[in-house]
Amino acid sequence: MSDEHDLQELDSALPGFLGVIDTVIGRVESFLLAVGVLLMALNTSANVLGRFAFGNSIFFAEELNRILIILITFAGISYAARHGRHIRMSAIYDAMPPKLRRVLMIAITLITAVLMFGLCYYAINYIGTQASRGRVLPSLQIPVWIILVWVPVGFFMTGMQYLLTAIKNMTSKDIYLSTAVLEGYDSDEETEV
Amino acid sequence: MATIVFLSMIVLLLLGFPMMVPLIVGATIGFFMMFNGFGQMETMVQQMMAGIRPASLIAVPMFIFAADIMTRGQSAGRLINLVMSFVGHVKGGLAVSTAAACTMFGAVSGSTQATVVAIGSPLRPRMLKAGYKDSFVLALIVNSSDIAFLIPPSIGMIIYGVVSNTSIAELFIAGIGPGLLILLLFSIYSYIYAVRNNVPTEEKATWGERLTSLRQAIWPMGFPLIIIGGIYGGIFSPTEAAAACVLYALVLEVLIFRTMSLQNVYDTAKSTGLITAVVFILVGAGAAFSWVISFAQVPQEILSAIGITEMGRIGVLFVISIAFFVGCMFVDPIVVILVLVPVFAPVVQSLGLDPVLVGTIITLQVAIGSATPPFGCDIFTAIAVFKRPYMEVIRGTPPFIFILLSVAVSMIFFPQIALFLRDLVFAK
Amino acid sequence: DTWRYAFEEALTEVQGVYAQKFKEEVEANSDHEIQLFPFGTLGESADIMEQAQAGILQFVNQSPGFTGALIPEAQVFFVPYLLPTDQEHLARFYKQSKAINEDFQDLYANQGLELLKMYPEGEVAMTTKEPVKTCEDLNEVKFRVMTNPLLVESYKAFGATPTPLPWGEVYGGLQTNIIQGQENPTFFLYSTKIYEVTDHITYTGHNNFTTAIMANKNFYDGLSEEDQKVIQDAAAVAYDHIVTYQKGLAEQELAKIKEAKPEMTVTVLSEEERQCFVDAAAEVEAKFIEMTGDSGKAILEQMKADLAATAE
Ligand code: NA
Ligand code: NA
Repeated sequence: MSDEHDLQELDSALPGFLGVIDTVIGRVESFLLAVGVLLMALNTSANVLGRFAFGNSIFFAEELNRILIILITFAGISYAARHGRHIRMSAIYDAMPPKLRRVLMIAITLITAVLMFGLCYYAINYIGTQASRGRVLPSLQIPVWIILVWVPVGFFMTGMQYLLTAIKNMTSKDIYLSTAVLEGYDSDEETEV
Repeated sequence: MATIVFLSMIVLLLLGFPMMVPLIVGATIGFFMMFNGFGQMETMVQQMMAGIRPASLIAVPMFIFAADIMTRGQSAGRLINLVMSFVGHVKGGLAVSTAAACTMFGAVSGSTQATVVAIGSPLRPRMLKAGYKDSFVLALIVNSSDIAFLIPPSIGMIIYGVVSNTSIAELFIAGIGPGLLILLLFSIYSYIYAVRNNVPTEEKATWGERLTSLRQAIWPMGFPLIIIGGIYGGIFSPTEAAAACVLYALVLEVLIFRTMSLQNVYDTAKSTGLITAVVFILVGAGAAFSWVISFAQVPQEILSAIGITEMGRIGVLFVISIAFFVGCMFVDPIVVILVLVPVFAPVVQSLGLDPVLVGTIITLQVAIGSATPPFGCDIFTAIAVFKRPYMEVIRGTPPFIFILLSVAVSMIFFPQIALFLRDLVFAK
Repeated sequence: DTWRYAFEEALTEVQGVYAQKFKEEVEANSDHEIQLFPFGTLGESADIMEQAQAGILQFVNQSPGFTGALIPEAQVFFVPYLLPTDQEHLARFYKQSKAINEDFQDLYANQGLELLKMYPEGEVAMTTKEPVKTCEDLNEVKFRVMTNPLLVESYKAFGATPTPLPWGEVYGGLQTNIIQGQENPTFFLYSTKIYEVTDHITYTGHNNFTTAIMANKNFYDGLSEEDQKVIQDAAAVAYDHIVTYQKGLAEQELAKIKEAKPEMTVTVLSEEERQCFVDAAAEVEAKFIEMTGDSGKAILEQMKADLAATAE
């Protein structure tokens, strides 16, 4: 599963200034992913250490992990969309002729984008509701809505990736899985997932 | 409603949509139809969050991280060399060792997903190199990992015990028999597979070579020590053992073996995060979908339609098996247990069925369901981690599912498979 | 109409028994039907609470211990030795208390909830691996508590190492000795099989578990007076039912535990033995006031007054 070779930071497919922003966002997502995982490891092991060396659990360890898992998941889904890594079952799709595949891919990416934007909208509403009720995390005593901020952002960025992929497929003659990843099989290790 | 939901999900799935889409669309249609519009979609977001909330899920990214460090570095290789020096010359030896390692790791860690990653990622390349076909390897890893449900500690059994008021200690003991039986059958199948496909064996290692491998594996032997000793010794919860493995792996690979730079560690963390996200968004979407099924009381309606109260002992056990099997094909196992166990409770009680037997049968079905298409967490994890297409991950599963189902059916006719050990230990 | 009602326990546990009685009464006295959703079927405690606030669920049962994240004052139910262990006194208190029937009513209303009843679930017992006679016996004991700051404070004050752990990890944690103790009402010790992995049950009298049933306020306010009466009556009948049901329940469940595990020891601490726990309670009470300010203090005072008024 060593896949550093194809997790290289991809330069954006967008032209000009938008491309720069998109590239920067990609870097930020990957940074958050790595730091999220590292912090989670640190937090969890510090908790054990605290309990055994000093007889004290970190009382907020569980809540911190909860915050991190949301961060990782939602920074990760748009990063995964960018790299064409979302899981799909493509057996029937693969058996279709290229023309049909292209139409289908445009439909898939557009519909997925719409869903993501929809979820983004409802996630914002959900955060609003949480904020108005004033629910807090029991241990950290910070408002719950703050830890959810990544949710709509993640949905939105994922939606953008799928929308851009749809545009890319409409305007080029190859079929793209994501803005920068061609569908199909590179070498022996498929990136179809 | 259920029909429309399931049909649209299957169609989207087959057309090649990203797997989260069928789940999200299924849940959305449910919300739209139940609440006459999109007025309650916030609850769908809530349930997606709820799906990724359980603290035990943290073990998954942690074991992915630890396994990735070990595999990129030397720890995993050295441990496997040690195993190979003892079993490399035996037909099917590597496959049997893989199955046994999955069972043991899964039993201890309590997480089938973590097992797929932690055992699968170092051993899969070695099995491919040894000449096993990938579809066999993937199916072996996914299905052996699911034996973990049956061997204590098992979260599925704890939840069943609480919902059905059954002794968890007895359930734990009862799971061991069928768990080991399945491992045995998987091992026999692996041996037959190796013989029929003429998988080459290595030359038998000399005791000198074995000693060398042992010496090289001294440091990496800390991993099984942390996991097995740490968890059964009461030092770590499974989640904490996972984090301890990460730390230990970092110490070994960065400081002692010096195979990894800090940049490598950063990149590994990044790819761990990516895999975690790809799997967890499905866990979240699956939770939202489960909520719809539960809220609409779909299982209750289906079961009341088939008239379970008029069936005998065998009939009821078959209906229970099928219900949990089908349920877990689509919905998160924990939710299936929570929703279905109370539904069956009256008929189980009126027939005087042993709740420990029923619990063991249910746990086995839950295990089968997690490895069965279309929706299964362990399938998703294997796809994300090994980067193989969906069809390839499930292509090799039929023989394994056949074995699992045979054990399930045998347990209905011969309850002693599960109850023998229980009766022995609890002197019943 | 079909009304939906979710709660935090299984159908056969105390909240489930209350819910079934409530359902029976509503269905007998009106044309409405009630669907029950036990523990976990629609999510965790916080989830069903939000769903009730959103109006998807008409009724929800949530213990104030969990409501503390939403209504800080609700944590008052974790101040040790505030509530008596005398079940009859408690029964009168919940029925007549101004703090509960007026003050908390308003606090819940602010969150869009109509508080129907608060009711007891029984005295909280500690179960541990080693016997507990004094606070000193809790020294070095990793004691599992719900993720609730006041409960963490309590066990710190008792001398233990409070370890917040999700419920799903408690059984395994006790089995593997990651934690060595936890607290819950007696019936819960039996139904969740916690007795299998601990050896000593100790009653220190420090708390009595309280829970609450409420309705979505918009839903409730929109009902006809007749329907509102059906609901209030059903809540009252279920209240009397649950109080009767719980008479001797703890003894019964304890007998079941003893039958399943004869070597289990059961200890009720004497006045003298529980003195150090009582002393520690003052610290926790101060912490509660620090966390909730004047409004928390007012509720606490009111509850004390109500308790005095309902004592025989
Ligand atoms: Na297990
Ligand atoms: Na499945």
